[in-house]
Amino acid sequence: MTRDWWKHLLLILGVIVVIAPFYMMVSYSFKSPGEIDRGEGGFFGRQELMVDERCVVRRDPSRADITAAAPRFPGQNDRDIRDALVAEAETDCSMRPVVFNYTMAFTEAPLLRYLMNGIIVTASIFLIQVVVALPAAYALAKLKFWGRDAVFALVLFCLLIPVHAIALPLYILLAKLGLTNTYAALVVPWTISVFGIFLMRQFFMTVPDDLIDAARMDGMSEFAIVWRVMLPTAIPALLAFAIFSIVAHWNDYFWPRIVVTGNRDLFTPPLGLREFKGGGDGSFFGPMMATATVIVTPLIVAFMLAQRRFIEGITLSGMK
Amino acid sequence: MSLADGVPHEAVVEKTVSHNVKERRAAWILTGPALILMVVILLAPILVASLLSFTNYSLGNSGFDWVGFRNYEKLFTRSTYAKMFVATLTYVVTVVPISVGLGLGAALLINSLGRFREVYKTIYFLPVMATLLAMAIAWEFMLHPSIGMINRTLEMGCGTFLERIWSFMANGCAGHFPVWLGDKRYAIWVISFIGIWQGFGFNMVLYLAGLTGVHRELYHAAEMDGARSAWERFRLVTWPALGPTTVFVVTISCIRAFQVFDTIEAFWPQGGGPNKSTYVMMFAIFEKGVQQNLIGIGSAITMVFLAFVMFLTLIQRWLVERKVHY
Repeated sequence: MTRDWWKHLLLILGVIVVIAPFYMMVSYSFKSPGEIDRGEGGFFGRQELMVDERCVVRRDPSRADITAAAPRFPGQNDRDIRDALVAEAETDCSMRPVVFNYTMAFTEAPLLRYLMNGIIVTASIFLIQVVVALPAAYALAKLKFWGRDAVFALVLFCLLIPVHAIALPLYILLAKLGLTNTYAALVVPWTISVFGIFLMRQFFMTVPDDLIDAARMDGMSEFAIVWRVMLPTAIPALLAFAIFSIVAHWNDYFWPRIVVTGNRDLFTPPLGLREFKGGGDGSFFGPMMATATVIVTPLIVAFMLAQRRFIEGITLSGMK
Repeated sequence: MSLADGVPHEAVVEKTVSHNVKERRAAWILTGPALILMVVILLAPILVASLLSFTNYSLGNSGFDWVGFRNYEKLFTRSTYAKMFVATLTYVVTVVPISVGLGLGAALLINSLGRFREVYKTIYFLPVMATLLAMAIAWEFMLHPSIGMINRTLEMGCGTFLERIWSFMANGCAGHFPVWLGDKRYAIWVISFIGIWQGFGFNMVLYLAGLTGVHRELYHAAEMDGARSAWERFRLVTWPALGPTTVFVVTISCIRAFQVFDTIEAFWPQGGGPNKSTYVMMFAIFEKGVQQNLIGIGSAITMVFLAFVMFLTLIQRWLVERKVHY
């Protein structure tokens, strides 16, 4: 330990740099605009009650409100009643900064909808990838057929193509089909995962032939073998692939940015955050950071709970 | 051979033949969807892009003209695109070596520790998991010229000895500290820094996996042979053993670096940074092809981009296949 102090020193310096933006993001999501501006309040802010100005403005009493409230303040003139109502509104509209920031994050933009979209898109992508890749991987690993080497060579060639790089022709294709601004546009380019095929094929190569022969003896069709015999054996590899796929598509910004324009109902979480940033004025740092925290948290928490699996999944591409 | 023996024999042959036919048919049905999707989603677009790069096509137009190599000519003569190549290559050439180096360094340090290994590993891996766009916005606040954490921290150094020994500090304290994202001298380096911040944990994890494959006996053997210092052992044992990992880490870092987009679009939605200093290729494809509907030039950039990326991957495969340990 004593000999290693300089190593820890270096690593801790690294930790500070790595953590800094996370620290700031979470801290800002707790603080009031004033504290953010002046840079005070430590990590949690002082959490003093603050007044939501926009809420007060929204409740600004009209003529009718004042007349309606008159019985509650007997013997006072309109001006006093008005002042009393404003004061009431201010009490009702005051809240802790942390509550303010997170309520704003969910009410200012349909954040729940964005999160749902994120889940729908990542889940559909993963499911379709498995439905397409698993049978192909099985055929390439265990069936003998003319053209198998050619198909596998094609898979290896397609591994060279990053889908982001061919985004423009894909966008044209989808636009021609009238599919931009649909869920389909968000999912379609990712339905084929050549990496998934490659990975599962390598895995299936290690499955003993006897298992498959036994299944054939039992009269199972090749199709049934894929889903009832191979799928269960492939669960660990599939889990790693699921993490790989879900992390990539939950965080993806480039592709949704291209095919979803303006239709907020289809926004994925990163797009929603981007919209928030574009539309918000300077005093919205708190709610924006609350939104960012909400978007980043699910994967980070999942990662903390199952670190080993995550690291395995993300670095899958390194095990070729 | 009696007649009685012949019948089952023929039956077996017939059965294997029909089995082969069945197996072949099943194989094509099972690979069919994947094959079709590969062709439609991955191969056809490349063909389409390569054709469109020779036209002046725009979405919504009924027709187009063939313009020959004019798009490519623009790409290699106009100053905007010169800036694009400079920005992309600056980014790649900065981010790849530093993030690989830091990844290796962190892996070696962590691997030599007894305690807290998991803690460091987890923390360094956080940026890889986090949504880059969200973190880009967090970085934007950190880099805010007046209320950002970075300039605030720098201001704390004012009036100390730092001002005397570091001219950057002196200038900052006298006038004001850099505006970072708004300054064309700093923009590309800030972007590169964020790229390194985000990517080195990934490289570290790959190197840690690689290090578990280095045999302890090799170190003993090297010591016997007179490799006394830690540096000698690293040079003679660790580095060669990590050769395959390094090839992979460098390639994947390159490909990821070429694809940088999120941070740039988040910081400068219009135009790719101050004086186009961060106008990288992915942003150019997005701006020209999608936003300005100049499909021809966008496709030409796509083709050049693909050429870069595929070339890199082919080099990697070639190195791996030759099992080069350098």
